[in-house]
Amino acid sequence: MAPDKLRRIDETKLEISEDYKPGMRVNGIIYVDDILEKELENQSIEQVANVATLPGIIGASLAMPDIHTGYGFAIGGVAAFDLKDGIISPGGVGYDINCGVRLLRSNLKREEVLPRIKDLVGVIYNEIPSGVGSKGKIRLGPDDERKLLLKGARWAVEQGFGDVSDLERTESGGCIEGADPSLISNKAFERGRAQQGTLGSGNHFLEIQYVDEIYDEKAANSLGLFKDQITVMIHTGSRGFGHQVCTDFLEVMEQAVGKYRIELPDKELACAPFNSPEAQDYLAAMRAAANYAWANRQCIMHWTKEAFLRIFIATPKALGMSLIYDVAHNIAKIEEHTVNEKKMKLIVHRKGATRAFPPGHLELPEIYRPIGQPVLIPGDMGRASFVLLGTEKAMKETFGSTCHGAGRVMSRHQAIRQAKGRAIWREMEDKGIIVRSAGRETLAEEMSEAYKDISNVVDVVHNAGISKKVARLRPLGVIKG
Amino acid sequence: MKAFDVLDISGDVGIMAYGKNLEDAFRNAAVGMYSLITDLDAIEEKRSIDISVESHSMEGLLVAWLNDLIFHFDAYGFIGKRIDIQEMGDNKIKTMVTGEDFDAERHEGKLLIKAATYHQLKIEKKDDIWEIDVIFDI
Repeated sequence: MAPDKLRRIDETKLEISEDYKPGMRVNGIIYVDDILEKELENQSIEQVANVATLPGIIGASLAMPDIHTGYGFAIGGVAAFDLKDGIISPGGVGYDINCGVRLLRSNLKREEVLPRIKDLVGVIYNEIPSGVGSKGKIRLGPDDERKLLLKGARWAVEQGFGDVSDLERTESGGCIEGADPSLISNKAFERGRAQQGTLGSGNHFLEIQYVDEIYDEKAANSLGLFKDQITVMIHTGSRGFGHQVCTDFLEVMEQAVGKYRIELPDKELACAPFNSPEAQDYLAAMRAAANYAWANRQCIMHWTKEAFLRIFIATPKALGMSLIYDVAHNIAKIEEHTVNEKKMKLIVHRKGATRAFPPGHLELPEIYRPIGQPVLIPGDMGRASFVLLGTEKAMKETFGSTCHGAGRVMSRHQAIRQAKGRAIWREMEDKGIIVRSAGRETLAEEMSEAYKDISNVVDVVHNAGISKKVARLRPLGVIKG
Repeated sequence: MKAFDVLDISGDVGIMAYGKNLEDAFRNAAVGMYSLITDLDAIEEKRSIDISVESHSMEGLLVAWLNDLIFHFDAYGFIGKRIDIQEMGDNKIKTMVTGEDFDAERHEGKLLIKAATYHQLKIEKKDDIWEIDVIFDI
């Protein structure tokens, strides 16, 4: 239950007042309705308040409806800082730098894929390495690795993984400028060497889905989506490479906190003044990891398309598989926002939050400028995922941000205990969803009941107006790590 | 005395390790962590690696050391089973870890651990028993 310190602003927002905790510089705002308020963890509320104490925070410490307790920053958190007296914090990005989602469309219809779904899931499962201890098919030499970190998805396209047209359909063009491979530790290079083109484990997945409901016909049309169409969603990030970058820089930041005398309510909020060398080094290393992740999703998408071509024996044109969009949901970016009617450059941290830029925004590719940025929200493997669009209201209220997923309600062990004696794969198959997973326990941890209902989460951001629903996607085949 | 328990927290997972001295608790924290990655009964003691780290605090030492073990698994597939602590001071730990390389054919993959964190980290002595609580990002 939410403590008294929370005040309801309207149907979709709660406020944590600035006087809730000493040192808070701004209010906290949590986007939840009555339903999701019941699932708020006390600790995550504390974390939203803690972030409000960080130097240079602008507006409010924000949290999306999929909020749950993280390290230092809550997952589902958005925090923007002034470039002059603000900070940057690796904890505000998370260990899995540029964990994100991409969605592919196709010309295939549900009834065409259903008879082959088992084979399709099998081929993709065999082609795309996943799970604990898995190694990728790509072996990177030192020179390749450097190029990949500088160019991101562009590197992958140059290697023949996909088309140039994919790049404009990727946030930041699949390559964020300002990455510096010389700041990457040997350990990060070692961890990243064999993991390019791998899915990972835990909540990462590859899903074959169909469009089961359309909320906005015109927008769906612009995105190339239609009812009963087959889509593919890929959810993964920068793998061990990004985890090591985060680990390395948390140590750097811990020293920086002492050096710059920053007072922190929680050690995991370790940060450095934005203009300090420590912060600039982290930013450049984080960008390299972000590029690693964009290349990763690009390679995985390429092999997925190949698997479809093999199963359906058709030309690429006939299958019509192409990228709709790719979003990052763990990242810090310099963006321009209007604060008190003044344009300001800010460093926006999104940790388990998705950018949701409105129609007309100059950072959007021309194809999406009339409708706004596609927002991709994965749900749990048994229920649904959603496609939304960014809005002007998000720009005004949340630094152009929205939710990123369902958010857990059950701990992993709780889920494993609840799943004991049950065959989750068979329960899924009974629902018409074919699942393959490398790890036996992964399916138990990832079962539907372990997550909030994604529909509730998406309803909050839709009703709050910080993004708007376009389509709902239902899973048919799931590959888990 | 039990070596460790698994700590249940909402998004992630942790280990509560016990020991009659600090070295024991460190050792059990590492074995506990490895047991989250795979079933240690199937791991053989085939080769050893040396892991030494330095830090400015005991908490820093534990986190840096566990992160080094995670690194050796994630980069090279090495899973430890036996931990020999050769030297331990306030700022330094020198260890030899014996185990083998993970083989998906023979070993079960359980959790993919990204890092050891400072989140609710605890190293304390209660009635002659050392206890370590450490949460992992997975």
